[in-house]
Amino acid sequence: MSTNADLKPLRSVSPFRQRMQEFSLIFRDHVLSLSLLLSVLFLIAFIIYPLTKTAINGFFTLDGQFSLEHFKRFFDPYYGPLARKIFGDTLAMGLLTATGGTVLGFIFAYAIVRCRMPGKKFIHLLALVPTVSPPFAIALSSILLFGRNGMITKSFLGITFTSNMNDIYGMDGLVFVQVITFFSVAYLILRAMLERLDPSMEEAARSMGAGKIHIFRTVTLPLLIPGIAGSFLLLFVESLADLGNPLFISGNTTVLSAQIFLAIAGEYDYQKASALAVVLLIPTLVIFLVQRYYVSRRSYISVTGKPTSGLIEEKEGWIRWPFIIVTYLVCALILTLYIAIMYGSFSTAWGIDYSFTLEWWKQMFARGIESILDTTFLSIIATPIAVLLGMVVAFLVVRKNFAGKEIVDFTSNLGGAVPGTILGIGFVLAFSTSPGILVFVLFFVMIIFSIGVSFQTRKEQLITGLSGIAIAFLLNFIEKLTETLLLVYIIAAIILIFGLIELFSHNRKAGRRFILLALYLFSYGLIEYVTYPLSQLLRSIPSGIFKNAITQLPDYIKLFFQLPHPILGCIVIIISVLSFIEKKSKLGKTALIFMIGCSSALIFAGKPLALVGTPYIILAAYAVRSLPASVRSGVASLQQIDPSIEEASAIMGADAQYTFRKVTLPLIMPAMLAGLIFSFTRHMTSLSAILFLVSPKWRIVTASILSEWEQGGISMAAAYSTLIIFFVLIAIIILYIVTNRMIKRRGGIDITWGA
Amino acid sequence: MYLNLENIFKVFPPRGGASEVTAVNDVTLKIEKGELVTLLGPSGCGKTTTLRLIGGFEVPSSGTINLDNEDITSLPTHKRGMSMVFQSYAIFPHLNVFENVAYGLNVMKISREDVERRVNTVLGLVGLTGFETRAPNQLSGGQQQRVALARALVLEPKVLLLDEPLSNLDAKLREQMRTEIRRIQQELGITSIYVTHDQIEAMTLSDKVVVMNKGVIEQIGTPHEIYRYPNSRFVANFIGRANFVDAEVNSSTDSRATVKCFGTTFDINTHEKLETGKLVTLILRPELMSISEGKGDFQGTVKRSLYLGNAIEYDIEADNHLLTFSETHPDRMKMFEPGETINIELHNEIVHYLKNK
Repeated sequence: MSTNADLKPLRSVSPFRQRMQEFSLIFRDHVLSLSLLLSVLFLIAFIIYPLTKTAINGFFTLDGQFSLEHFKRFFDPYYGPLARKIFGDTLAMGLLTATGGTVLGFIFAYAIVRCRMPGKKFIHLLALVPTVSPPFAIALSSILLFGRNGMITKSFLGITFTSNMNDIYGMDGLVFVQVITFFSVAYLILRAMLERLDPSMEEAARSMGAGKIHIFRTVTLPLLIPGIAGSFLLLFVESLADLGNPLFISGNTTVLSAQIFLAIAGEYDYQKASALAVVLLIPTLVIFLVQRYYVSRRSYISVTGKPTSGLIEEKEGWIRWPFIIVTYLVCALILTLYIAIMYGSFSTAWGIDYSFTLEWWKQMFARGIESILDTTFLSIIATPIAVLLGMVVAFLVVRKNFAGKEIVDFTSNLGGAVPGTILGIGFVLAFSTSPGILVFVLFFVMIIFSIGVSFQTRKEQLITGLSGIAIAFLLNFIEKLTETLLLVYIIAAIILIFGLIELFSHNRKAGRRFILLALYLFSYGLIEYVTYPLSQLLRSIPSGIFKNAITQLPDYIKLFFQLPHPILGCIVIIISVLSFIEKKSKLGKTALIFMIGCSSALIFAGKPLALVGTPYIILAAYAVRSLPASVRSGVASLQQIDPSIEEASAIMGADAQYTFRKVTLPLIMPAMLAGLIFSFTRHMTSLSAILFLVSPKWRIVTASILSEWEQGGISMAAAYSTLIIFFVLIAIIILYIVTNRMIKRRGGIDITWGA
Repeated sequence: MYLNLENIFKVFPPRGGASEVTAVNDVTLKIEKGELVTLLGPSGCGKTTTLRLIGGFEVPSSGTINLDNEDITSLPTHKRGMSMVFQSYAIFPHLNVFENVAYGLNVMKISREDVERRVNTVLGLVGLTGFETRAPNQLSGGQQQRVALARALVLEPKVLLLDEPLSNLDAKLREQMRTEIRRIQQELGITSIYVTHDQIEAMTLSDKVVVMNKGVIEQIGTPHEIYRYPNSRFVANFIGRANFVDAEVNSSTDSRATVKCFGTTFDINTHEKLETGKLVTLILRPELMSISEGKGDFQGTVKRSLYLGNAIEYDIEADNHLLTFSETHPDRMKMFEPGETINIELHNEIVHYLKNK
């Protein structure tokens, strides 16, 4: 057919220009570009940088000499056998846990989806409890029940353990504990797949006369293979990353995650820990990549679609009942394990004297109330940060096209997938002293963003940038002569002056904003005049639980007012840029130059980003760990919203920020709430990543459990664990009530638990 | 001109294993104020991408877009002062009818009374008075469509963009909405760009039709011009149906030519002098020829006949050409059987031709 189309020449556009054009779509909107920049900065600072730092550190001695010492050990005649055994045991643990967990997950999924099992809802929730409890809860209760002094082993069965007997400690116990802890990962994946399996395929097979088992073997199973492989790999990664369980139950067997922990906690050898971290990181990364980019793409079943309506249900009892019975038995076991923890916390001396006592709870509150409150406080603060970041990343990944999108997506998931120990080491290595490179990256991104969006011509941009930097040098020079606090006051004063000028030149909104910002900066120092008397006052309270509970109050207050300088710097520049963007007056331009100067000075003030010992490093670690959960829930719910809805808002005159607030956010609210709760849970229960980040001032309850338990107080550990589980359950119940109410009001918005 | 697209290219970079796609290939388009222009073409022809470029949802790889003498090529969507009716309606599910329609006015921070007045006016215009507090899921498809239209109209946009707005409605409702959109558009005089793959929609609605194919504009013209004087086989085939028959030019003046085919000669109207001896392709519309047992220009044999109710369709072989023929005249509803020989009349004064390239 002759058409004009065949004859016209095609103009070629270079791939680089195409990519740049995609960015220009994003950078047309300042808030959108800002959120992209900040998310990328966060990912670089708290995921890529620390992990790289750990990896590099493995190759250098304390004096900075290149060394392969710890890698050579695997081939060393003396150290070799042990090193290789540990590596082999680690892989064996991963494989066994992955196999066991996938099988158990499949049984649960099949029983719930296909076997018309009574009490589905309850079973479903029970299966999820291990994922939201402290990382060593199952190990703890297994020891309580099946240990040498175990209730079942000793009291019911009357076994007296001798040194040669096979007890719960060791590889077998470890795998048992991990399977119970992690199988729900496989259960959730396989359940989702089974629900979305198109029943017509199996019906087609049946109509052609195939038997049950034949259909399962030739139709159902092949369709589920991607899900099974995916769960297997994820479980493998989770198992390798686990620290809590191996620490307590692996007995004479050592696995890599525990060895890394001991290298730091026992030997204080960061090079060895880093080198081992590299060894552990490699299989984890490889499998994570395979799972993400190979297995998940092989899926024949669309995961975004709605569950199909007609489900196939097993009618034959001989298929149904075995699945149901195994499921019930495992649930009974899980229930028993959790009851044991609770019971343990109320028993006088486990294994010897089971009489009721409140002693452990009293002691826990007396000694541990600070860590309980610190953990809860920091978990709550980190939650909105993680979720907002997660939603923004999800929004960018689902809705926008830009070069490097895959990397952003991958990195945001990486922080939660790598063993927490490795991340923790990275944080210590990266943020003990000021990370120069990061500070410079932050500085350059902020400068380029601020002059890029505010000024059009190259000349203007250059002049503004340079004069801003000159002011920054001057300010930093003053700081060197005096102290950082004075710098903050000077900057606050500058901002206050501009704020007052703005206010009197009839730009009330910007004026008010600047005055508030100035007051906030003043309070950086002035808050001490509130918190110091307060802490004096608190010190005068007679000692007791109450005193312990509120002595931290001044620190909690200061957390909000004494943010790290670089973050203050970013706040200053962002507020100024967004205030002056529409207004191109002389005053506005001068103000902007000063603001660039002030914020640069703040970024470099003191020891920028030397965060170890501050609560902010714990917040960052929390956010990194829970990010994948909120990104995933955000992605899932955004994919169900027609992009035209946001485009409709845009073409009616709303910018990205207005659209996100008024349209996107209300629509993804259920996912966001789920994200909030799961993040909070993850924070409360995380151990490995923050173990090295706790300080005497900021204590974390999971770390307290660890030390209590090591000192023999298994009942204390049980009391702590019960309390955390209780907190987490309350959070989940709140989520359940709120979302149910929301679904009733809106109708039709479905949230899937943990999917 | 009010809205100008000049040499617009849009190349989508390769992503996820797919190769690079040139969605819009050198499109130049001029639209006058108050016109309704349809972009018509098969799926993947670049019509929606063109619309999205005008709306600012995509940036062109090269070329410029001007609106009312202002370069808007890189102006963000929310500053373009346009509005759009989406194929999926894109009604905000968490807002009721009134809030949906008032959304754009609220963005502009207009006083409460003005918002109410304007929303009520436009709801009256689309016939939705009384539905203000309904939630979107309590509305039928047609009503949702009206909400989407009202929401776009209330802003009195500089340009109204419509992306296949009727494709989710059933046939009856579509016809009704079609006339209504045209009525409102003419009443308010809104410059509108309407994307569709439905040629009837394009013919009945538009002041101007832009036929697109593979990212390129094939032809721009009024519905009449596009149907009567298609400039390519693609357009002739896409707007209605056509038989293509090669004919040799025997002689030609500036406005007439004598061409030879089917073993006989015809005089056709031209707008230029055709070169003698050259082949041209005649476009024979199935519904613009007549057949009868009596007189005709040449003979043919019925190969297949199909009774459609409102028409009878024939495949007729004549001089080694297989012609499709559609009989709609009520007086001649007698069916010819396959094998019968009949006479064909071309109505040569309305036959259009394509020069062979």
